[in-house]
Amino acid sequence: MNDDPLSELREEPRPEFAASLARRLRELDEHERAHPHGERLRVRLVPPLLAAGLVAALALAFTLPPVRAAAREFLELFRVKRFAAVPVDPERLARLQEGKVDFKALVSEQVEWIEPAQEPEVVDGPEEAAARTGVALRQPTVLPEEAALAEVRVGSPGRFRVRLDVAKLESLAQTLGVEDVAVPPAWDGATIEVAGAPVVAMRYHRGEDDFMFFQSPGPQVQLPPGVDLAQLGAFALRMAGMSAEEARAFARTIDWGSTLLVPIPAEGGNFREVDVNGAKGLLVTSIQKSKPGPDGKSGRSRRHSVLLWSAPGKVFALAGPGDGVLVLEMAQSVR
Amino acid sequence: MGGVRLLDWLGTVAERAEIDWDAVYREELPRIYNFFRYRFGNRSSAEDLTSVTFEKAWRARHRYRQERAAVSTWLLAIARNVAVDHLRQLRPEIPLDEAEAGARDDETPETAALRTSQHRRLWSLLAALPAREQELLSLKYGAGATNRAIANLTGLSESNVGTILHRTVIALRASWHEGEAR
Repeated sequence: MNDDPLSELREEPRPEFAASLARRLRELDEHERAHPHGERLRVRLVPPLLAAGLVAALALAFTLPPVRAAAREFLELFRVKRFAAVPVDPERLARLQEGKVDFKALVSEQVEWIEPAQEPEVVDGPEEAAARTGVALRQPTVLPEEAALAEVRVGSPGRFRVRLDVAKLESLAQTLGVEDVAVPPAWDGATIEVAGAPVVAMRYHRGEDDFMFFQSPGPQVQLPPGVDLAQLGAFALRMAGMSAEEARAFARTIDWGSTLLVPIPAEGGNFREVDVNGAKGLLVTSIQKSKPGPDGKSGRSRRHSVLLWSAPGKVFALAGPGDGVLVLEMAQSVR
Repeated sequence: MGGVRLLDWLGTVAERAEIDWDAVYREELPRIYNFFRYRFGNRSSAEDLTSVTFEKAWRARHRYRQERAAVSTWLLAIARNVAVDHLRQLRPEIPLDEAEAGARDDETPETAALRTSQHRRLWSLLAALPAREQELLSLKYGAGATNRAIANLTGLSESNVGTILHRTVIALRASWHEGEAR
């Protein structure tokens, strides 16, 4: 016997079966088109953690910034002053969704909504946005050539409480294959309150390009006493895919009292620290391919950048095409 | 706009480039099907598990990352997980396919009968292999994966994959000749 008989066992799938499965997959496509919102939350690498029921996961795994002061009688208050990129292994997110653990139940059962999130809503202009949100709006004074303000929206991520459950955190770690992380029993039942401030989004448009400018007073997180929150930060970093050693090294560089951890999908783009009017910003650049045109041909690949920075009491994000030069120029002109 | 949430927008920039998934289906269906066919020997199971694999992949296809793995490797990774789940449910039964009959256009009924008989023997030899060797042969000969792709999927080194496959084929050959000598 040589290898050939082994290859000879190969056969084409029955045409009836191939057609039936193709039909089933088309039905899945149709279902996806009929429920675009739900699907979009699932399809992105980071946003799965931002879906309504999963906002808590973001707070828990990424947004929640532990502080070094461990025990205080009253709750700690966190305000964003700077950003730090945390490379996230997208396979871990996939494992959460494909694994046996019902991730939504894992987290959402621990969430108590105090104020519901408000979907983004179009308003007449910056003045109305400022009036409705109470945000003292800033705007870029320099725009890319031919770009103009096209739309303003306001929204709010809401306010909620998250109650830590040690058993569920352990289950989460297990699902993600993080075996060597200990969840302190003292975390059990600790309640964290997250208040997402109103967000104003301005869209500047030119030709095929959109530049999105977001501003918000930033989230406030009230942290309970008696919890070693530096450990919680290290736990979050481990869940994001860092090794124990990497998490420890990273944790040492973070000012936990004021830093918002931004999940960057590993290999999803490159990021660097930039100066924005004296503040340290985080510029993330990735490559996107345009959607196919009417002829069905794939569009060309383009660079896209997002810049995050803060000023006292406020956080900003600016996203647009290019490797960050235009975005940075706009950001530096924000007054 | 839809993305007032800052990180939601950030997620947008990491979205993957468009892929022709219909073409992926056409090209990869036989590979995935044959992976299961070789792995379990049963046509009906192969069809069921191929369906499960593609439905999982279809739902998760927006999470596929081109720069991380070829789409064929990504699909095979899903297929392997589906196979593991299937084995958990079915073990130790590994049924052989009963339906091999039917002459091809270019062969006589006698030749077809001989081919069917030989295939049946080969299926039973495959089914008797240890799980790891079965899987490697399914990936190599069923799915047509390269040794490098198999190494990526299984965590074995490429040279180790080559060695195991070589030894397995030699062992199969020995079993085959042993059967003929009886």
